[in-house]
Amino acid sequence: MQNALVPVKADDTHGELIQLVSFNLDQEEYGVDVLKVREIIRMPIVTRVPNTPHYVEGVINLRGKVVPIICMSKKFGLVESENDKQTRIMVMDMDGELMGFIVDAVSEVIRISGSEIQPSPAMVAGGIDQECIAGVINQSDRLLVLLNLEKMFSRDEKNLFTGM
Amino acid sequence: MPPIDCEDQELLDGFLTETTELLEKLDDDLIMLEKSTDDTDLMNRIFRSIHTIKGASSFLGFDLLVKVAHKTEDVLNRLRKGELVVTPEIMDVILEATDLVKLLVSDIKAGDIQERETEGTISKLLPLLLDSATAAQPATPTAPPNDQETASADTAVSAAGEPTPPEAAAAPETPADTAPAASASSVPAQKAPAPAAVKKPAAPPKPAEGKGGDDLSDNSTVRVDVKRLDDLMNQVGELVLERNRMIQINQDLQQSDADRPDFNEEFGKLTKRMSFVTSELQMQVLKMRMIPVEKVFKKFPRIVRSMSRDLGKEVELVIIGEETELDRSVVDEIGDPLIHLIRNAMDHGLETPEERLESGKPRGGTLVLAAVHEGNQIIISIKDDGRGIDTERVGRKAIEKGLITEEQFAAMGQREVFDLLFLPGFSTKDKTTDLSGRGVGMDVVKTNIKKLNGLIEIKSTKGLGSEFILRLPLTLAIIQSLLVEVEGEIYSIPLSSVLETIRVDQRQFHLIGGQEVLKLRDIVLPLIRLQKVFNVQPRGESDNFCYVVVVGAAEKRMGLVVTRLVGQQEVAIKSLGNYLANIPGIAGSTILGDGRVALIIDPVAMSEVCD
Repeated sequence: MQNALVPVKADDTHGELIQLVSFNLDQEEYGVDVLKVREIIRMPIVTRVPNTPHYVEGVINLRGKVVPIICMSKKFGLVESENDKQTRIMVMDMDGELMGFIVDAVSEVIRISGSEIQPSPAMVAGGIDQECIAGVINQSDRLLVLLNLEKMFSRDEKNLFTGM
Repeated sequence: MPPIDCEDQELLDGFLTETTELLEKLDDDLIMLEKSTDDTDLMNRIFRSIHTIKGASSFLGFDLLVKVAHKTEDVLNRLRKGELVVTPEIMDVILEATDLVKLLVSDIKAGDIQERETEGTISKLLPLLLDSATAAQPATPTAPPNDQETASADTAVSAAGEPTPPEAAAAPETPADTAPAASASSVPAQKAPAPAAVKKPAAPPKPAEGKGGDDLSDNSTVRVDVKRLDDLMNQVGELVLERNRMIQINQDLQQSDADRPDFNEEFGKLTKRMSFVTSELQMQVLKMRMIPVEKVFKKFPRIVRSMSRDLGKEVELVIIGEETELDRSVVDEIGDPLIHLIRNAMDHGLETPEERLESGKPRGGTLVLAAVHEGNQIIISIKDDGRGIDTERVGRKAIEKGLITEEQFAAMGQREVFDLLFLPGFSTKDKTTDLSGRGVGMDVVKTNIKKLNGLIEIKSTKGLGSEFILRLPLTLAIIQSLLVEVEGEIYSIPLSSVLETIRVDQRQFHLIGGQEVLKLRDIVLPLIRLQKVFNVQPRGESDNFCYVVVVGAAEKRMGLVVTRLVGQQEVAIKSLGNYLANIPGIAGSTILGDGRVALIIDPVAMSEVCD
């Protein structure tokens, strides 16, 4: 007797199911591990912070907590779109610290099995650092770039933030 | 050495809290005792403290601790009975033993009990227990090591029962032993023929001493006056009432009774009461975090005592206002700077008795350590009546070390010369001693005071003495701040560092070597344009008039140029998180009434940007 509440085991043995939040940036679709995403909010008023790298948009007040905001398109050197109704901030947990990322739109949460993740083609030049691309997901109707945001800031950049 | 095998952690915690408190008091009392040797009450109090520590630690099975405490107790007992007379030498030994006890307690606190060298100290205590070391005959506890060896060996045999060969005592005592004094002395008596263990004239555990003391003073628990707790509860009660009122008003509003004529008035009243209750609540909580500055001050008599003995100077330390309260976070930070300032005063400031007599001063110098509240600040001053700061000599040294040039020195006023003292690596001493000469001390003072958003002021008259004045904020979590606008962006400046604000015509600014300055009465104030430092986009036509906020950071003064003053507000400091922790000129952030984030300017870092 099959209990409906017991999750069906993925029949392929290599790789468990992963849930991803997919979002858009400059025409392309990206995904990050849902467990890293704390919440998704609309654009509030951002306070500019002087003397920071250009991709640091500023800080916001998230229910009494001050959270830094990074503009993803600026960070990755992509075409920046105007903030509109679709613009969202994804608040992520980065090594225990909250950090917000501005994205063009957040679409959905998708489930994929680990086996669907392919290594990224070696020829991705410019734009997003090879470092933070964890792989690509090639499905019949879409191509998703899986990001590992913890690798987003190089050691130098982290030093820039904390070692000045 | 058994590990901490107390099943009952609570028991251990209680022991640590109690012992720590006793030890803190003990230091103070011991110094006092040296001054008023015939105070029986004091004597008894000291004896009781040590006795309590011994009893409690033997109950918990900390054998090393028991051993040291026990010997100390014995010596104190003889002092109490008048069999010994308090001399500086005896005090030295007792203080050393107390230090050892502290070290052991801090080991226990840290949860890792180490085999500490205790025999050195114990062997110094032992001669004092000899019958021969009576009141009539001045004891010689500071005798060379070889004397001690024989003395301690002798004691082991003669004063039966009392001397405890360290290894022997540890073994038979079990944690369940509740009658420490009796059994501790009777059991080792049988084992007395093993005094060989005592024979190593061990080095006293000096290196770890300082650390041990510090560990003790850090406290993760707070004792709060019940009265304050009750007050807090009352405030919270009121807050709940106001909340209910607010819910009621909101319901009225939902049922669109809001057009009731008294709605506005009701809401206004509620807002007032709410703000009253919250500010009261804030005060209460703040008060609970407050601890008397005595916590820091009480270790100074001890330091001054040992330093004056080392330096051969006669110093009287006068402490004023030790009951002044300030936030625990501030208390934790001011210890180090104060130690350095006191060391400086002792080493550089005060003269030797001979020098003092020559210059017509009384033999003994006076060092006054005072704390007082002034508005939202606490002012701590360290004043000595020594030789004062020799500006000429300071200048020469600075030139010698290549910190400044001849021309620069010639142009310096007294204030600028005093500022030289804070440069890292600066010292007027030719030779480095273990007390001073590395040029680190004043740098530490500056750094710590800066961290606290405090100010340092130096007053000194050559030949008459110097005074170092520290101005510190009462608390670090909530600060009074001045909100300013820089081309549309709002920034907050800690009010504690704001000296004054002025509205000036920009045409009054002067340029000196590319640096904009303002003549403000008799001083020339360097100016920093926040708009430039923070790269704010200028908005439209600029007015010739602007505001200059004169701020002080540690020993520096400068003017911040802003577009407009917004007002004064009490703000809670929020950190910017790890990623943005080190932005030059920004100390943190706060959230304004409208929910926006405003950055808090760090006047100290500003001064470095200015450099």
